[in-house]
Parts: sequence; structure tokens; C-alpha cells
Amino acid sequence: MRKAFKRIFRTGWLNFKRNSYLSFGTTGVMTLVLLLFSGLMVLNYVSGQIVSGLEDKVDVSVYFKNDSSEDQVMAVEQDLESQPTVAHVTYISKDQALVDFKAKHAGDALIQQSLAELVENPLQSSLNIKAKDSTQYASIVTFLEGNKFRPIIDKINFYENEAVINRVQSISRGVGNWGLILTFILALIAVLVTFNTIRLTIYNQKNEIEIMRLVGGSNWHIKAPYLIEGGLYGVFAAVIAIVVFYPMLWFISSKIGVLIPDVSLIGYFVSNVLQFVPLIFVLGIVLGVLSSYIAIRRFLKV
Amino acid sequence: MIEIKDLSTIYDDFMALDSVNLEIKDGEFVSLVGPSGAGKSTLLGLMTRELTPSKGEIIIDGINIADLSHSEIPLLRRKIGTIFQDFKLLSRKNAFENVAFALEVSGAELKEINEDVPKVLNIVGLTDKAKNFPHQMSGGERQRLAIARALIHRPRILLADEPTGNLDMLNGYDVVKLLMKINEFGTTVILATHNREIVNIVGRRVISMEKGKVVRDQIEQGKYIL
Repeated sequence: MRKAFKRIFRTGWLNFKRNSYLSFGTTGVMTLVLLLFSGLMVLNYVSGQIVSGLEDKVDVSVYFKNDSSEDQVMAVEQDLESQPTVAHVTYISKDQALVDFKAKHAGDALIQQSLAELVENPLQSSLNIKAKDSTQYASIVTFLEGNKFRPIIDKINFYENEAVINRVQSISRGVGNWGLILTFILALIAVLVTFNTIRLTIYNQKNEIEIMRLVGGSNWHIKAPYLIEGGLYGVFAAVIAIVVFYPMLWFISSKIGVLIPDVSLIGYFVSNVLQFVPLIFVLGIVLGVLSSYIAIRRFLKV
Repeated sequence: MIEIKDLSTIYDDFMALDSVNLEIKDGEFVSLVGPSGAGKSTLLGLMTRELTPSKGEIIIDGINIADLSHSEIPLLRRKIGTIFQDFKLLSRKNAFENVAFALEVSGAELKEINEDVPKVLNIVGLTDKAKNFPHQMSGGERQRLAIARALIHRPRILLADEPTGNLDMLNGYDVVKLLMKINEFGTTVILATHNREIVNIVGRRVISMEKGKVVRDQIEQGKYIL
């Protein structure tokens, strides 16, 4: 059994080696597919990081009228905290708001001077609300609009980041969709090219195949070397793709790091190397074996 | 025992075999004669399931071979050796490897290959040519090598399709003598040929075919008559 497997593997390997030019082209096309797929994963990761970074910055601020009492504000806070969609609520009193404001504009003499001249604190007390999920802000706003303390609320501030998030999401979705379509098209081409290579191998070995059938070679012995050959294209393509991908990633990572400091591309793909590398290998092998299988079904009579 | 019942094969409009009925007993030596296109090769092709009949049955050892599944066909072909006019040898392999190939592709162990291949090469008289490649051998030697390969699975039946077609009289005669020797050991031999001299030398059962039909079946001391 082991001997038979060795023979099948050796025949597959010889088929791969003897077709050197064809094998080179086939492996090349398949490498492109795997690289494109890796590129999609990078895009997915980067856009995911950007969106979640933006989402972290989204919150709802509720500003209360100056005649509202602290008790009323506390009641609103308690109401909000009982909501399942709310992650946490921070109360910022009028005094705190003033301290923050002063600190923020510490360097601005004009503002400091103006503040000093004021008798009364002009700033409003506010509640800062974080939702568990960025999609839930709209419902929190609706909840506030319907609240019995609505009259003491001056304004609800939320809309700013939403547009940016939607924009990033729609761009990344668009690029992702086109990337996916491109990957599919290229994968289809890779399947066709591999299929054709295997077809040529089968054609070149018509005599061997005929004799194998004649002498009662088992179907498995006749077919399996071609499946191995197809799989080998995938394996070599995966090796090349990975060898090209990581240096490329390292290069891009430093550029992206300048734009978005929170995102470490290389860090992500290095720490997930045990998921990423096997995935690329499996994808390559599946593509190769699948193409080979189609060619065998179509051209190899046993 | 081979039973052929009402066997017909139609290619498009052409009737390659037309209601053939035959019974071939174990250990017989049958010469199948007739002009080109008489249906000899079709009949042999049907026996190895290279072809499937349009109608009728071929029963070998009680099994209708049309009922065999894909995975069972190789087992049938190991029970039936075949040789052809064009030898069908692998030019890149030497004599030993050509025979060993038949064992390898059926999953044999190395030990079995090293024991059995020299034995069959000895039977066909090619022991000293084991390392020669087909292009270094004469036509007769190549056909004997093909016979060695056909014998490697110890088949019960040996089908020979025009085995002397590419050989001169002397080499052809050698090959037929070898087939007769194999037959003496108990293998059923079916020899399809249109070589009159060869058939007359063998002088055993002769089945004559014409236009897909069996026109004559001389059970003993048959001669080539058309």
C-alpha cells in the first residue's frame, strides 16, 4: 500500500517536472490568484480596523438646559443605564465641563479672559452615552426623544461620525466586492489553465494510459497521479505566494502605519500565520485538484 | 468458459456484430478468422469491456461482464491477457520494466515483482534481453515481450489480436508456437488473425466471421476457409 502510494506520488511529481514550461505558467497563474486572495484579506482587515476605530469614537452626547436640576439629569442617566443597548453613561456636570473647557483652551488667552469676566458658568451639564454596538445609536436617540424628561434636554448630539463610518464601510464593501469578483474570475482562469495543462499531460501519456487499462491497472492507479500533479501546482503556487506576500506586506505595513497608526498589518498576519499559511495551501491544493478532477472526468477514460 | 449469447454491436448505422452466439470451453485454442471489418477485434474488445454491446451477453466464468462496475473492470482485465499487432510496449521502459509496469499499476509488492517478472521473461525466452529497450529488440522479441506482460497476472484467457500482423513468417510462427505452449499449460487462447498459413499450422478450432456474423465454426482440425 505504501509502495503503491509512493509510486502514484512519484508519477505525479514526474508529470509536474517533465512539463516544466507549462508547470511554470500554471503555477504562476495560480500564484496570482492566491496573492489576490491574500490582498483581499489585507483589505478586509484594514477596513475592519478603520471602521472599528471610528466606531469607538462615536457616542451620543445629551446636553441639558441650564434650568434642569441634577436630580432630573440623574433620573435620565438611570433610565439610560436600564437600556440593554447602552454600554455605559458618563455624567459631566456644569462645573466639570468648565474645568475641561478651561484645560482644553489653557493656551488661549482670549478665551481665558472671557471666561474670567463671566459671572455665571455658561456651559451645560451633559451625559455621554456609549452603545454596545454602533448600529444602536439611532434607537438610543429615539428613546431619548420619547423620554418624559425630554423638555429639560437642550440638544442631542450624535450624527457627526455616522456619515464617515457609512462612507468607509461602503468604500470597503465596494472594493471588497470587486476584489472578490476579480478573485473569482482569476480563479476561474487558473482552473482553466490547470485543466488544460492536465489535459495535455493526459494527451501526452495516451499510450501509458492505454497500457495501464489493458493490463488491468486499478482506476485509482491510473487517475491519482494526475490529481497529485494538480495538487502540486497548488502547493508550489502557495509556497511562492507566501514567499512573495510577507515581504510585500512588510513593505506596505510601514506605509499604512504612517496613515493609520493603530493598524499593524505585519503584526496581524505574523500572529495569525498558523491560520493564514494553511488557508493559502488548502486553497491552492483545492484549486489544483479540482481542475485536475474536471480534466480527468472529461478526458481520461478508464 | 466463455458464453456469448445473441451479441450485437452497432456503431451508428454499421452493424459490427450481428447476433453472435458462441461457447468457448476452458483450455481451448480458438482461431478467429475473417477479412478486415468482419468483427473479430470488436468481439475481443467486448470481452475486455473496452466496448459495451448494444445487445446480448458475454458470460465469463458465470458473470455477465456487462454488469461489472467500473472498479471491477480492472479485475476482469487481469483475468484476461491481451496482445496486439502493434505490441503496445512503453518505449522508455526496458523489457523488465515493461512487464513490471503491469504489476505496479495493479498495486503489487516489490518482492512479487522481482520474483514474477524473471519467471515470465523466461517462459517467453527473453531472460537475456531483460535490460533491452523495445527499440533494441526484433519484432518477434517485442511480441514475445508483450506476451510476457499479458501473462504476468496468470490470466485464464489470452486474447491475441493479429499478433503476427507486423512479423515475418518465421517470427510469426515463433509467436504462435509460444501461444500454443501457453495453451498447453491450460490458458484459453483466442487468436484473431487473417493469416492463412498460421491458422492452418495450428489446426485447432477455427471460427470464421464475415460482416459481423459467425459463418463457420470448425470445432476440430479447422482450416482457413473463406
